[in-house]
Amino acid sequence: MSGLWGPAMFFGALLLIFSGYPVAFALGGTALLFACIGAVAGHFDLVLLYALPERTFGTMSNYTLLAVPFFIFMGTVLEKSRLAEQLLETIGALFGRFRGGLALGVIFVGALLAAATGVVGASVTAMGLISLPVMLRNGYKADFSLGVISASGTLGQIIPPSIVLIVLGDQMGVSVGDLFGAALLPGLVLTGSYALYVVGLSFVRKEVAPALPEEARSHGLDLLRRVVVSLLPPLFLIVVVLGSIFAGVATPTEAGALGAVGAMILAALNRQLSMKTLQAAMEETSRLTIMVIFLLIGSTAFALVFRGLDGDIWIADALTGVPGGALGFLLVVNTVVFILGFFIDFFEIAFIIVPLIVVPAQILGIDLTVLGIVLAMNLQTSFLTPPFGFSLFYLRGVTPERIPTTAIYRGVIPFIAIQLVVLGAFIYFAHPSTPAMPSLF
Amino acid sequence: MPFLRRLSTLVDALNDRIGAAIRWLALIMVLVGAFNAVARYLTRYTGVALSSNAYLDLQWYFFSLIFLLGAAYGLRHDVHVRVDVLYERLSKRARAWIDLAGTVLFLLPFSLLMLWVSWPAVRNSWSVREVSPDPGGLPRYPIKAVILVGFVLLVLQALSQVVKQIDILRAGAPGDDAVTDGGDHGHGGHL
Repeated sequence: MSGLWGPAMFFGALLLIFSGYPVAFALGGTALLFACIGAVAGHFDLVLLYALPERTFGTMSNYTLLAVPFFIFMGTVLEKSRLAEQLLETIGALFGRFRGGLALGVIFVGALLAAATGVVGASVTAMGLISLPVMLRNGYKADFSLGVISASGTLGQIIPPSIVLIVLGDQMGVSVGDLFGAALLPGLVLTGSYALYVVGLSFVRKEVAPALPEEARSHGLDLLRRVVVSLLPPLFLIVVVLGSIFAGVATPTEAGALGAVGAMILAALNRQLSMKTLQAAMEETSRLTIMVIFLLIGSTAFALVFRGLDGDIWIADALTGVPGGALGFLLVVNTVVFILGFFIDFFEIAFIIVPLIVVPAQILGIDLTVLGIVLAMNLQTSFLTPPFGFSLFYLRGVTPERIPTTAIYRGVIPFIAIQLVVLGAFIYFAHPSTPAMPSLF
Repeated sequence: MPFLRRLSTLVDALNDRIGAAIRWLALIMVLVGAFNAVARYLTRYTGVALSSNAYLDLQWYFFSLIFLLGAAYGLRHDVHVRVDVLYERLSKRARAWIDLAGTVLFLLPFSLLMLWVSWPAVRNSWSVREVSPDPGGLPRYPIKAVILVGFVLLVLQALSQVVKQIDILRAGAPGDDAVTDGGDHGHGGHL
């Protein structure tokens, strides 16, 4: 009988958060509800709840999580000060002369912006507003353009300094610097695969992504000036921020704070550091901090009661008992996370699901850093998958009415295929009996 | 109801002011964080102790103030993330029912629980005037007390939301958008 508490609470919580009530409080309320029922049935000791203030205090003084608001601040300043827009326009001008060039520009800017913002919404919205009209005007096929934009917008989930990786590092007890280092290779592989696909397709089917006509290009000194002004500064900032982490000079938290100040300096040099920009960055940073940390507080209450009811043992038994050992575990976990990723946000998955799979993964001998990368890539793919992918949703919001939503769905299919192939390759690397995953650092 | 509506407006105004103030904490937190990073680096190479545990404490004190004091503001402005696959397809009335039920069954009991279990810990911290265990660190008891302040604000905002949701439900027919986000009641003619 006692074995039923874990599943009852887990599925009960899942049901309640689907009501649409804010997840943080639905989880906290579920925790209290099951604590009371468990206590009445003699399975739960209410004294355990007195651990909650200490846990809350642990979240307050959590040095790793402090990096999250810093990187959000940095990304919002870069976005609101129009640095991102200028970057897109410049790269478009640089590559536009080639077939498929605008699409390549979107991919590279997606990867770069990703490194700067790490928030799906920001880069997809920016690229949808700026690049999509240019692509359509120049005869790019709508579904192809939409697919490139929504896929490139998700690269921020995997390319460091991604907020996804910071939170995963915290929840899995893995060094964020290690995760950043390990994520660089898959991030570049994905970016490269997208680019290869675009080049290949525009070579085979000339009408999909034509080159810009002569009069739409910019030339010589003017182009050079634009590259120097808009491309080099943000690139420099990203290299310094990531470089200082990889070189071990700065912790991710320190690099985030310096990156935020660096972004303000760049915006000021560009004469774009207005009160409006600052206010927007401060507002966005506080909102996301409130949202993420309160979700963590609610999840902590949930986890405390769940463990008190031996729910963690139920999960560990179920996952270590999966046929096929480590590979079976990886397939089950990835399938569950992929499906959940359709409906619920990354942060819920990181705070509710991830802590539960750490112990079974260790028992099965799976490297946690590699597991973290695989999970991040998996979530990134689910952001891209119809009908609920977040990236598609944001892009729909800035796409002209006359273009049907199905065009977006058709456009992302090739990119989902690329994602699944690369994800499969890295799941293979996560398997303990295969040689260690190659790393760039 | 008019009296409760007025209270609700007051609570909303209070949390809006707090929300406007904590934004600035985000900027200050970034500046303190950058100072800490530079100071640690310089200290290592010059030997002059620029960095101190007080500043290191300060950056996460600001971080804590943002989410503890901002949680109520976040509730008022729907910042807390929802799984809205179903919710966004529902009518205004149905959403008000879900919000009302969630506030009464989840949010209020959870906030009261947090106040109940945190009270002894905070009282202990105050009675010994707890200070950071690190040399030169800041006093711990005030920041711990902010946990209580944050959840009191959250309870107040939750009650204000209840008043507004009941108003939506009493306003009658589905699709009646006389009451918008519930933010601007008090200006109605009922007072």
